[in-house]
Amino acid sequence: MTPRIPLPTDAVTELGLPDTPDWAPAVTAARSRLRRAAYRMKSVDPVTTELVRIRNARFQHCHF
Amino acid sequence: MTGLGAAGGDGTDWDRFASSYPEPFGALSGLVAAAWAEGDPVLLELARLRTATLLRYDAERGRRSARARAAGLTEAKVAELPAWPTSPLFTPRERACLALAEQFVIDAAGVTDSLVVGVTDHLGAEGCYAFVQALSVLETFQRACLTLGIDSAPEVDELVAAGAATTPEARR
Repeated sequence: MTPRIPLPTDAVTELGLPDTPDWAPAVTAARSRLRRAAYRMKSVDPVTTELVRIRNARFQHCHF
Repeated sequence: MTGLGAAGGDGTDWDRFASSYPEPFGALSGLVAAAWAEGDPVLLELARLRTATLLRYDAERGRRSARARAAGLTEAKVAELPAWPTSPLFTPRERACLALAEQFVIDAAGVTDSLVVGVTDHLGAEGCYAFVQALSVLETFQRACLTLGIDSAPEVDELVAAGAATTPEARR
């Protein structure tokens, strides 16, 4: 997938996504915090969490 | 609206869920606060209200951001929001952002290059990136509340203040 906006660098993350740490840094950090909190919830088992994540990615045509 | 019935107690729907699940709800507040900290309050408020309309989240549509009002957003403009493509109250910048916001909420896979260019022309690449991040936050918040049956969530500004207080930076 080609980025639709000009990026400040060609660097990518370990997931192959554009690495833009200086853009919207507060949202990026807060999103990571929410993701960690969700994964730590004991009430949702890891298999269900992963199935939902993959199903959602397919529904959204997100192939990363 | 009937929710999942988080642990009982006084307070709003949101308060009851937040007391039962403080970590994820604190993180969600922090995410909302971060989005508002990095975005134009008028653009975010217009996108938030339009998202609430598209998702049929009436309670959210009834809330207002004091920050957006202070930045110049009027109730007359909010009332015209359903007619944003043609209403003279909306600027080309706001129309570009609302067009992208609507497609993002309806079906993100249908976002076109021209919708993105329309926003980038007004906000720049970094601004467009931050706006899309904020759209994702607004949508996540509203879909989560709708799914959990949370009608009485805090006002946007209360949520932002609470979220800002829970960020790692604020706790240092």
